[in-house]
Amino acid sequence: MTSNVVGLFHDPESALTAAGQLKGAGFESLEIMSPVPIHGVEEVLGKKKSVIKNFTFMGALIGGISGFALAAGTAIAWPHPVGGRPIITMPPFLIITYELTILFGILATVLGFFISSRLPAFRNRVYVPESAVDKFVVTAPCDDAEHFKRAEAILNDAGAEQVREIGGSDL
Amino acid sequence: MHRPMTTETFKLGYNDIHDDVIRSIVKTGPKYYIALATAGGTTLLCFFFPWFYQLYYGIGAAGMNHPGVWGTYLASFIFWIGLSHSGTLLSCVLHLTNSSWRKAMYRSAEAMTLFSLVVAATYVMVHVGRPWFIHWAVPYPNQMELWPNFRSPLMFDVMAIATYITGSTIFIYMGSIPDFAAVRDRTSGWRNTMYTLLSLGWRGTDKEWHRLHWAYTFLAVLIIPLAVSVHSIVSWDFAMSIVPSLHQTIFAPYFVVGAIYSGTAGIVTVMFVLRKSMGFEQYITKLHFDNLGKLLLVLSLIWTYINGVELFTAWYSGTSEEYEALNYKLFGYYSWLYWEMIIFCAVLPMLMFSTRFRTSFVPMLILSIAINIGMYTERFLIIATSLSRQYLPDAWGTYVPSPVEISIMLGSFALFTTLFLVFVKIFPSVSMYEVKETMATPKMEPAAPAAGSPA
Repeated sequence: MTSNVVGLFHDPESALTAAGQLKGAGFESLEIMSPVPIHGVEEVLGKKKSVIKNFTFMGALIGGISGFALAAGTAIAWPHPVGGRPIITMPPFLIITYELTILFGILATVLGFFISSRLPAFRNRVYVPESAVDKFVVTAPCDDAEHFKRAEAILNDAGAEQVREIGGSDL
Repeated sequence: MHRPMTTETFKLGYNDIHDDVIRSIVKTGPKYYIALATAGGTTLLCFFFPWFYQLYYGIGAAGMNHPGVWGTYLASFIFWIGLSHSGTLLSCVLHLTNSSWRKAMYRSAEAMTLFSLVVAATYVMVHVGRPWFIHWAVPYPNQMELWPNFRSPLMFDVMAIATYITGSTIFIYMGSIPDFAAVRDRTSGWRNTMYTLLSLGWRGTDKEWHRLHWAYTFLAVLIIPLAVSVHSIVSWDFAMSIVPSLHQTIFAPYFVVGAIYSGTAGIVTVMFVLRKSMGFEQYITKLHFDNLGKLLLVLSLIWTYINGVELFTAWYSGTSEEYEALNYKLFGYYSWLYWEMIIFCAVLPMLMFSTRFRTSFVPMLILSIAINIGMYTERFLIIATSLSRQYLPDAWGTYVPSPVEISIMLGSFALFTTLFLVFVKIFPSVSMYEVKETMATPKMEPAAPAAGSPA
């Protein structure tokens, strides 16, 4: 049965140290939960890449194209000639294009955020409410009791205030 | 509570901000209910009741008639859109420039944006007279083969404002997710259910913080040009007509600067009230008023300059209709309003050159209200003075708002207040995690101090 080891730390530095040592000892899928974003996580847990920028870009692109298509398509389907001016009038249509570029860009960014951060997630996951207040929490899944003991030792050595076990059945 | 303006938030611990903000949500005194009932009642009486009266008797209940076919409804619409400009825009700019003083106040500034937009959108409904046809402005396939004309600035408005409302809502929500999670852990009952849903299962893992940071930054980058475009487009509603004194290229920057100016003044007002009523004295400090004051001063100077340019351009055009419009604006029927605006928005703000003035709360409150009165007047004058003097003298006339219009104008402030009062009980009105970020992070120490005083 798998369980999760959870170490609560008082400050971000010792949490990061503990995470580094756990990683060095071969533990995988480490997570650090914190009340504020902490700097230096990437040096310990590896570089993070987010796909959000691709979403934003594609959303903006699709928005721009559809904005122009909406305005130009309307003008072509219901022609409204004004004093021999072109049917597809660029300056006003570019404004519609601009607005829809931003609208779709925003919506796609939100979509990208949800997908890449795996939210919303209402199922039970490893969580320590103190981490939303003032504790920095390191957590890792453990395969068996012996595994857990090792992780507990590492966390205590790094200065954890408390080490907990959150089992698979508790979730 | 007057503390020195330096790093006072650093004396507080992570727990203090947590307790203070959650207390502001869950502990509700009788004063709050009295305020809510007053604001809600006034909204009903002064905003919705006259509006229903107008719907029943027709748009003639308002004082708009030829040549003053636009009136306070449109002036209020511009005013509220303008007021919305500082919150999200300022918040985005300060986020991208890493200005940490933004963090204690941006949440309520963004809420101001959102609710100003709601009020502005409601004003569109009031203004159009027959709001049940408002959906005709939206491009959707229909059997009437009715498609909007995308060359009209009014259609730009529809697109821009719809995008702006969507963007501001998403921006304030995204920034609040970690705080919803923090409140979720401290509440029970229906509140817990609500915050569980709102926080989407946020846990504050390294990955979630990373994603939130990037998403938030991209949103900020998208929203800045959006906000600028929104008020430019509102200005084109006027500038693209051929009415003397409206047909000016300076109008887009004029409106954008005016919007940020009145919005920043609005933030000062809201901050003052929030600080006093919610007990946020430690978080919203003299530092914020000082910085906002400097910003207001710069905006006031730019605004004054653009006003000068507007007058100069009209004079330099050398055409009789522009001369007449200019003369009418400065010395005509509405001239007392013009000079009131100049005193409130160009002369009085000069006081903010003094640091002592900027760091005094009550004088800043009075000045911020005066600026917004002046800015409302500006929007009214743009419409009233220009429509009253269009070309031929037999088309001249004056516009005076009817009681219905005046009542709805006053009621809109009550509507805004009501929405804001509801907001402070749902959203953590000071961003907890970002104020925590500005505090000193807990340091590694052999003998750790007791929890709750990490700094």
